[in-house]
Parts: sequence; C-alpha cells; structure tokens
Amino acid sequence: MTPRKLLLEALVAMLTPDDVLVSCLGANSRYLPHLAVPAPVFALCDSMGAAIPLALGMALQRPDRGVVALEGDGSLLMCPNVLATVAAARPTNLTALLWVNGHYESSGGQTLPSAPVDWAALARGFGITNVERVGDAPALRAAFPRARAAKEPALLVVDVAFDPNEPIPPYSQRPDEIRARFRIP
Amino acid sequence: MSGAQRIVAGLEAAGVTLAASVPDTWIGKLMATVRESSKIRAVDAAREEEAVAIACGASLAGGRGAVLIQNAGLFNCGGVLAGLVDLYRIPCFFVVSYRGDGRDPVYYHEPKGRVTEPTLSAWRLPYAIADRTTDLAGQVVHGVERAFESRGPSVLLITGEDLA
Repeated sequence: MTPRKLLLEALVAMLTPDDVLVSCLGANSRYLPHLAVPAPVFALCDSMGAAIPLALGMALQRPDRGVVALEGDGSLLMCPNVLATVAAARPTNLTALLWVNGHYESSGGQTLPSAPVDWAALARGFGITNVERVGDAPALRAAFPRARAAKEPALLVVDVAFDPNEPIPPYSQRPDEIRARFRIP
Repeated sequence: MSGAQRIVAGLEAAGVTLAASVPDTWIGKLMATVRESSKIRAVDAAREEEAVAIACGASLAGGRGAVLIQNAGLFNCGGVLAGLVDLYRIPCFFVVSYRGDGRDPVYYHEPKGRVTEPTLSAWRLPYAIADRTTDLAGQVVHGVERAFESRGPSVLLITGEDLA
C-alpha cells in the first residue's frame, strides 16, 4: 500500500494554476502547506464530509476552473448521499479523490465500521459513472488526466496506506489565514 | 407578484448566484420560482449540510450562495455551521421554512416550531421573521447583505403564507 505523501506529491505535480484544490480535514490538510501546490488551496481542519460539496459549489460557480476535492473514507461514510447530489448537478469540472485507508486517521486511528464498502460501485449506483480505483502513484498519474478529460464528475478511489506511526506534520495554518489567502483568479 | 416571486426578486437583487436546497412543501414552492430565474443556479442537495457547503463554495469562488431549507434541516447543520461557516468566516444566507409556528396548519411540525428560535439563539444565528405585509424582497436583500458584511450566517424565517 502506498504512503499518502507519495500520492499527494503525484497529485500536486499534475495541478496547474487553473485548478482549485479543496482538502478534507486531517492528513491531507496537514501535508499540503509543505508541498508546492500551484493552485489555490482551501484546506479544512474540521467539518467532516464538507470537502466534496464545498468543491461542488466552487465548480458550479467557476466552470472555467478544474476543481479537485480530497475526501476521506471516514468522512464520506457519514454522508455518501453527496454523491447523488454531485451526480444530479453534473459539473464538468469536478474531480474527487477518495482516500481509502479504513481508519479515522486524524482522530486517533480508530477503525471504520468493518463493512466491505465498495466505493466505486456505490458511486456508480448514485449515478457517477466516471469512477476508477487506483492503488499507487503511477496509477494515479495515469488515471487523473483520464478522469478530468471526460468532462463529467469523476471519482478516483485511492487506496492509501495507514501507518499509525506516520510522522504527519501538525496543522500549520489557521482557518482565518486559509480563508484570507484563498482567491480564485 | 407572489410572495415567492418577491423573495426570489430579493435574492436576485442581492446578487445571489446559487441557491442550494433540500425542499419541504413550502421551500419546494419557493425553489420552483428560483428555477425560473436566469440569474440563480438552483442546486438540489440530498441533505442540508451539503447545501450549506455548496453555498459556501459558491461564495468562496466569487459568487453568492444561499441555502433554502426547512427548520428541521437547519437543525441538522450544527456541525457545518460551526466547523465551516463560523470557523472560516464564510457568508451564508438561509431562507428557512418556519414549520410548527402558530400559522402552520400541520400538527406534527409543532415540536420543531417550539425549538426553532431557541436553537437559532443558542447557535448565535442572526435571524429575522419575514413580514409579508412589508417589503419582502427588501428583507431578503437585507439578510444577504447582513451575511456578507458580517462574513457569517444570516437567517430569514418564512411561512407558507409568505409565498402566496
């Protein structure tokens, strides 16, 4: 299983200034300030489940930008209904990456309810057909451009390693700083 | 002009570009009028917390988002109000159907009506109760401007009578 940082670095390397990145709380938001992201970033530190609908609102408001949402499996398990909302709104510029590690990583590493959730099938069941499962950085590098080229809402289900000893950096940006800096040109 | 049309005229005048909604009987009627607007994108959400985040996303992206939901749906939104709207100081204007107040003919909404204003007060949500005998569009504009000036939430409570 690939460590999160390698996957994040692969993703960030594919972004451009014409993109917008919205991150869920936890490890993604904690790593991003330490990466050279060429696009505006809105990083959450609370509000589980808000990343995809927040990104949807941005995508609908700014169809000229590629909007990328990062969400965790624990968060999406709380509100998978958002996939139906995305499918109904049909943005052509929204790509969501679902990080699947089976754990509530940022709250202490507890396991999710031990159900074998098939996220790709769930997304398709809600009407999102542009779905692909990736398990390493080369697969992500191949799948991400493919997902965006389809010009329909996309979900990449990313299998990521869970390591309770991973040295994830602490939050280094306050919400008011993130909010003040966030601008989509 | 119907009350629903006056409310939508107010949303348009205030520069609202996106209205995210989970309907009830009253909000559904209002959203039918929103869909006739060429200035406002209507977004159907599956749950109210999503509607809040969608509206916030539109506002962060340079537009103006609004949320149209029932009071029961607002009760679902405590987490996203605290962890997104308040924490990041994002403007968010709500039109909320005030089910269960004295004018609601449906008995089973009464428990929601009893706790609506106490909940708004406890959550420190600025709110107003719509008055259809005066400038309804102006009340909407005022609510939107209040949200954007304060960079926070603002709620306008409406009833079915206000839409007629």
